[in-house]
Amino acid sequence: MNVVVCVKQIPDPVAPGALDPGTNTLNRSGKLIMDDSDNYGVEMALQLAGGEGDEVTLVSMAPGGETSGLRTGLAMGAAKAILISDEALAGSDALGTAKVLAAAIARANPDLIVMATESTDGYTGTLPVQVAELMGLPSVTFAKAISIEGSTIKVERQTEAGFDEVVCPMPAVVTVTAGVVEPRYPSFKGIMAAKSKPVENLTVADLGLDASQVGSAGSGQEITDVSESEARGSGEIVVDEGDGAQRVVAFLEQLKVI
Amino acid sequence: MFEWSEEQLAIRDTVRRFVEEEIKPIVDELEHGDTPPYEVIRKLYATFGLDAMARDSFKRQLERKQSGATGSARPEGGGDAALTLIPIIELCHYCPGIVTALGVSTGLAGGTIMKGGTPAQMERWGLDLLTMDKIGAWAITEPDSGSDALGGMKSTAKRDGDEYILNGNKTFITNGPYADTIVFYAKLDDGSETPLRQRQVLTFILDKGMPGLEQSKPFRKMGLHSSPTGELFLTDVRAGRDRLLGESEGTPGGSEGRESAKGNFTTERAGVAAMSLGLIEECLKLSVAYAKDRLLWERPIAEFQLIQLKLARMEVARLNVENLVFRHIEMSSKGKSLTLAEASAMKLYSAQAASDVAMEAVQLFGGNGYMSEFRVEQLARDAKVFQIYAGTDEIQVTHIARDLLGR
Repeated sequence: MNVVVCVKQIPDPVAPGALDPGTNTLNRSGKLIMDDSDNYGVEMALQLAGGEGDEVTLVSMAPGGETSGLRTGLAMGAAKAILISDEALAGSDALGTAKVLAAAIARANPDLIVMATESTDGYTGTLPVQVAELMGLPSVTFAKAISIEGSTIKVERQTEAGFDEVVCPMPAVVTVTAGVVEPRYPSFKGIMAAKSKPVENLTVADLGLDASQVGSAGSGQEITDVSESEARGSGEIVVDEGDGAQRVVAFLEQLKVI
Repeated sequence: MFEWSEEQLAIRDTVRRFVEEEIKPIVDELEHGDTPPYEVIRKLYATFGLDAMARDSFKRQLERKQSGATGSARPEGGGDAALTLIPIIELCHYCPGIVTALGVSTGLAGGTIMKGGTPAQMERWGLDLLTMDKIGAWAITEPDSGSDALGGMKSTAKRDGDEYILNGNKTFITNGPYADTIVFYAKLDDGSETPLRQRQVLTFILDKGMPGLEQSKPFRKMGLHSSPTGELFLTDVRAGRDRLLGESEGTPGGSEGRESAKGNFTTERAGVAAMSLGLIEECLKLSVAYAKDRLLWERPIAEFQLIQLKLARMEVARLNVENLVFRHIEMSSKGKSLTLAEASAMKLYSAQAASDVAMEAVQLFGGNGYMSEFRVEQLARDAKVFQIYAGTDEIQVTHIARDLLGR
């Protein structure tokens, strides 16, 4: 079984982030790391594709030929990676990114495509279903468990009340939630082997796409302004004078939380 | 080498994550409870495949020994010392004691058997020590002999037919209370009039539970609480020739204990430099954060020049020790070893730097520094032993001076 995992390489959240003053987009010029939410997708894929002849391929779109984040997934055990890096991709919106990823994923001819529910820098959460739609594949979101049964997958799909059981044919796109599996630590041998695992570098033209479809040229959105968010208020301090519990309940009721 | 490679950074980051997630939450238990460090060390080994790597290394060393080859079993062009030193550095951010327990078991006990043992002894005891399946102790120091461990040794091995009868006390033995396998040094008592100081030192491999062998409970110590230290008492312990390292009294690098013991000095001293680096890095990180946060006279103390001086000196120490560690890693990658004098100089400087930095960190934190909650207190207690074990500062000086004056 071939499983593709889409991996986003993002600026290290530990380092202070910065916006490009010209485009108001996130500055991605420094070293990038694998988005933490993708750890779960990679781990899930490795568990599902653990048999003889099974293979996990990572697919990522990143500027400057960046592979640092991909190496993390390769060190965990993925066999190879496809990286799409092209100056024409700067300023891509979610749909533009989905077009690129869909074209790249198709080259790997996977049985299953695993993605995080959303990235931790963009948080649009729309890309996985866009990829599925562009590829004409079914998509199941918010998976908390996945099992393979013949040519179908069975997914426990997280809901507010519990979970739904969904069965769908493969190939399919599945998004996993954080905490769905315990991501492994890359072993020392895995880290050393990752350096020599193949990474296929592709451009927009290699994928048969027109530059006008992607990047800022193909983007249906524009960031016109960025402003500071309002500072959070100081909140309300409830001093317990014997009626603390009732006052907390009243507060929560007012918020319509309970 | 002036910085970690990308691959080394990846190893550092993943070990750092393990330390933060698996060790940081149990530091109090390891330091002040009755939890020995071995389970978390085994978890570390299993997580990063270090047990599998140890088995591969064992196989190479065994094949080399069986083929009769001498010298190092390192891969062509030298090994990557960073693979060993990075975990040491990272563990020392929180728990230097774990490194001591691990290093003594695999490096000193396991290493001695792998170097001087017969293939049968390597298989019987060596493999389990290298993988941490079993815990090893290396017993040389005695109540009346520390720096003079070999000359002043009073433990005896008396021939009795094909066996030896072992007697003596050992102290300050890392892993002593829990060790499954003990590498034990004793003077040969052959009934001659040879003065005790000049008698041959033999090396034996003992198992927990042998009749006449008693392992004490852990000592209470100033620091390094997560490394159990104890005493060993041997009363007429009978050891067959199969337990004599190398199965011969005269094997160079084998049962000849003086050579066997000294062979460990260089590796051990380079390891202490890496431990110092980890401890210094942590003290510096904590101190910078504290200096920015702590307000006095309505200003962060980082604005005061006396505080800045402390931080600057810590950074100088960190850079110097890091350079020494990098030098060792680069030499090792080229297949070159430190001389004993170089290793001694590295250990002397690094251990003193670690102690100084940690004590200055306590001072910078003021009253909070004296409280365990702020962590520099533990690191300061732990750092002191770097100047004492693996050869005291004073012994390092003599080794450096002997080399200089002997040129």
